[in-house]
Amino acid sequence: MSRQAHGRLRAGAVGGMLLIAAAFFAVALWTGDEAQAVITGRVGDPLVYPSPIELLYSPNGTQLYVLCNESDELRVLDASTGAAIKSIQVGHIPRGISLSPDGSRLFVTNTWDDTLSVIDTASLQVVAEWPVGAEPSSVIEDRGGKHLFVANRISNDVAVLNARTGAEEKRLAAGRGASYITPSPDGSRLYVTHVYPNPTPHRTAPESEITVIDTARAVVVDRIPLHSIAHSFHLTFSRDGRLGVVAEMHPKNLVPLAHLEHGGAFVDTLTLFGTDVGDKPVEVPLDELERYAARPFGVLITPDKKFLYVTSEGSEIVTVVDVPRLLRYIHTHQGPFAEDLSASGNYVVTRIAVGHDPRGMALSPDGSKLLVANRLEDTISVIDTHTNRLASTVRLAAPKQMSVLRHGEQTFYTARYSFQGQIACANCHIDSTFDGLQWDLEPDGFGRDIVDNRPIEDLKGTEPYKWNGGNPNLPTECGPRTEKYFWRSEQYDDLTLSDLVTYIQSLPPRPNRYKLPGYELTPAQERGKALFVRAVDKFGAPIPLTNRCVYCHSGPKGTNQKSFDVGTKKATDNPGLLDTPQLTNIALSAPYLHDGSASSLEEIWTVFNPEDKHGRTNDLTKDELNDLIEYLRTR
Amino acid sequence: MRGRASAFGIAISFALLLAPCGLASDAAARIGADVIVTAAPVYVPLAELRGQERFPKGAQLLLLHADHAEPLVPGFAASADANVYFDGRLVLFAGKQLASDPWQIWELKLKDRSVRKVVVTATDAERPLYLPAGRMVYAVRTTHGFRLDSTDDGHPLPYTPLNPTAGPGELALSYTQANAFPADILKDGRVLFEAGFPLGSGTTPELYLVYADGSGVESYRCDHGQARWGGVQLSSGDVAFTHGVSLARFTSPLAHEERIAAPAAQYAGEIAETASGDWLLSTRASASGPYVLKLWKPGTAAMETVLAKNGESLVEPVLVAPRTTPKRHPSGLHPWDYANLLALDARLSRDGALHGTPVAVRVETQDAAHHAVVMGTAPVEKDGSFFVQVPGDTPIRFALLDAKGAVLRQEHGWFWSRGGEQRICVGCHTGPERAADNRVPAVLLRTTTPADMTHAAQRALTGGR
Repeated sequence: MSRQAHGRLRAGAVGGMLLIAAAFFAVALWTGDEAQAVITGRVGDPLVYPSPIELLYSPNGTQLYVLCNESDELRVLDASTGAAIKSIQVGHIPRGISLSPDGSRLFVTNTWDDTLSVIDTASLQVVAEWPVGAEPSSVIEDRGGKHLFVANRISNDVAVLNARTGAEEKRLAAGRGASYITPSPDGSRLYVTHVYPNPTPHRTAPESEITVIDTARAVVVDRIPLHSIAHSFHLTFSRDGRLGVVAEMHPKNLVPLAHLEHGGAFVDTLTLFGTDVGDKPVEVPLDELERYAARPFGVLITPDKKFLYVTSEGSEIVTVVDVPRLLRYIHTHQGPFAEDLSASGNYVVTRIAVGHDPRGMALSPDGSKLLVANRLEDTISVIDTHTNRLASTVRLAAPKQMSVLRHGEQTFYTARYSFQGQIACANCHIDSTFDGLQWDLEPDGFGRDIVDNRPIEDLKGTEPYKWNGGNPNLPTECGPRTEKYFWRSEQYDDLTLSDLVTYIQSLPPRPNRYKLPGYELTPAQERGKALFVRAVDKFGAPIPLTNRCVYCHSGPKGTNQKSFDVGTKKATDNPGLLDTPQLTNIALSAPYLHDGSASSLEEIWTVFNPEDKHGRTNDLTKDELNDLIEYLRTR
Repeated sequence: MRGRASAFGIAISFALLLAPCGLASDAAARIGADVIVTAAPVYVPLAELRGQERFPKGAQLLLLHADHAEPLVPGFAASADANVYFDGRLVLFAGKQLASDPWQIWELKLKDRSVRKVVVTATDAERPLYLPAGRMVYAVRTTHGFRLDSTDDGHPLPYTPLNPTAGPGELALSYTQANAFPADILKDGRVLFEAGFPLGSGTTPELYLVYADGSGVESYRCDHGQARWGGVQLSSGDVAFTHGVSLARFTSPLAHEERIAAPAAQYAGEIAETASGDWLLSTRASASGPYVLKLWKPGTAAMETVLAKNGESLVEPVLVAPRTTPKRHPSGLHPWDYANLLALDARLSRDGALHGTPVAVRVETQDAAHHAVVMGTAPVEKDGSFFVQVPGDTPIRFALLDAKGAVLRQEHGWFWSRGGEQRICVGCHTGPERAADNRVPAVLLRTTTPADMTHAAQRALTGGR
């Protein structure tokens, strides 16, 4: 062998080794060596974690977009190696991501900024930031590139924007908590799901809907009812468009919450619809007799329609459903199925343990890998779709230490502390908010003391807790009481309880969309404020101090933290006074009153305040009550 | 004195029998831990469910090391029913110091083999199991049969639980007039126990569940029929048990049992699962032979004999190893002597549709002579719901009546509710697979006060006085 040839060979060998090394490095990245990094201790300082919530492959499949919910960024990774390519800063608390049909633009909805970030996929630069509705949660561009459709969670609608300019052309009324939009495979329809239930008569089962939009005409053409469903999340279609699937939660809030066994608090279900299903949607459970799939979130059907994957936030699993078996089951058995905890054994293939709070998923272009975003672990689980086993776990660049707040948040979202892993705090406080439901809790007596679920943002300084003011502080509320009457099982240790409480106390109020910039009040709000603080009624009669709105709803959070009889108790309520609720973002949390019997703020006074015990209001006209409401909306 | 001598004699005989014995070394490696097993010249399966002696000719716990076996408590006339503490260092067992003693609950410290009596009872106390958070459960013989009892395990907790399960002190967990024996503590903290089916009246061995404070009693599954016993929970969460001539399991997804494809044999039940997933089993070839200890890898065709003793049965194997502590049940019982029971739709049942419309429910209890005594009736609403207040810690059963008072459906067995318990039934024998419909039961729209059966019960049980 000549020296030259040897040199070439050696160079080739070195090059080959480098390539092998590079390949090994790439594999090492996706096999999750970093995921093994030990997170030890807890630090008191708040740390910013990426918190991946949604995943998306680039059009050519070479890049992976990771939407990071807490660090307000879109991370772009090399899809084959997992190597970081770029971090793109977006707005505050991004939640939704989608690609334009031509693949040239990425859209990100920023929920606390009420903006839409437009990113050029070639340059990976934010090229526009457009204002949209309240708490935009997902976005889709139509096939023709004419319109963008944005689901606004708080304003309960879908904004239709000019896809080129971002100018809003109209709003389509959706259901309550409109959050996730999925196009049909042919793009002709959009399907919108909702995280909060639509209003229903007091003490009746929750209802939700799939709002169906004709994409070309930008009009709502159908509302598919989701009976008994309170919270629905992602929706997916089979590639042939014949099967649609929604991930959802089916609460048992009308039944006394005496125990958790046998799906006592929730059943975690899917609603199936489409040609494969038949005329009516069919609801099927994911839960088993002793194991739950708490809070289904993401759904994805493989292109060959063989498997359906479902992430369950609280159970920290991906459930694998055999689609042909599922369809065969619903066509050969008599429904309804939702209450049969032995049904899932007929179509669930396996449950794959993943990380904390698994959310969005993405299937690799060749279909061999399913990626799962574990929001509260900063990892991506890689599932081999041939074996349906976890292949690796990739840790995103993130703080190596566990902060108190992160640990508290993990505790809030995991269902591992409840009996058989059925529920977590986040079951009733959807995304750390509320659920719009009323519950019949066991210790107060069956059918007695029905309680509306209050929001938990900005809680610090509003104690005591519970509508009867029975819990003096959060450690009591979240500690022994929760263990005994909610989890019905041994829960966290004291340190974890402390972290949980710290997390809950840290939850800030969401931006108030009714406040003007600079916190000035509109004329109507000013008039309402005058009514709120007034000491004399319209007839000149003094209003006793304790019967003025501002007396009980005083202070920065609208509560003097005392309990009163405001004349709203029912025959089924136990004796005692009612805690004064805080007014933070009160406009968002209908229904109202301790038992949720007032469907609107106005009903508090027009229906449930006949004797002016709940403040002097019976002298007010409809317009004046509207002014009062306008003011309350700014709180 | 004669009893003590007798005990010594039995111990010596065991020692002699065991001297040349040991585990096959490859089996020992597969097991990966010491094993405690009960050796008995005569073992009568299920005898205790009939109130009889399982080990009429005595029994002795053996500790199996890698290469030899030895009596665990040689000074005892009899010992059986080992249960290893969660840290692997302590062993609860039923023992007789003297042959004339009743079975009592003892605890042995493996480090120094010291023993202490944990529970003192005048009658037999058997089948002890450690519960989490400083409690234990066992069966104690009463005039009505073996009852599940619980008490403190004698080890002070290094912490105070937010909500204790029960105690301090002794607490009965079963309240029917039937034999009941703890079988295992499930990971979720519930006590798996064996009793006849229908509970409180039948004789077919069946598996039941109860929380560690005695509340929430129910059949593990409502797939009744074949006799089931020897139930233990595996690491997968499945509960494996024996029918005597076959093995089966209950899994989380299924309401009915699933057959375990195992080699043909008679199985004593009470499987010990090794860290590698192999099962230690007591099997015998025929009803007349003794049980031998075998190791089996589930899914394979053959079992390996671990230990066999000529003329003796080896049963109740347990591993001497740390294991995961089950979850503590935080008792939510109220300080009442009554219980409130809400049926959501009594018309629902695995037994099929009712042939009529129920308008009332008759609530019955048992007197001391085991006779059914009617406590009273309560209305059944059109949606099938009813709400009753019954005396706590008392056998209860329901019968649905039509407008003419004819019985549409009658519970065959008995159950109980603890004083202070509030419980919901989805239907009448709907099975644990049936979750509740989400609707307000009509009875709660009419009244939130349960129909009070407690005074009627008192009158009925005292003959109207």
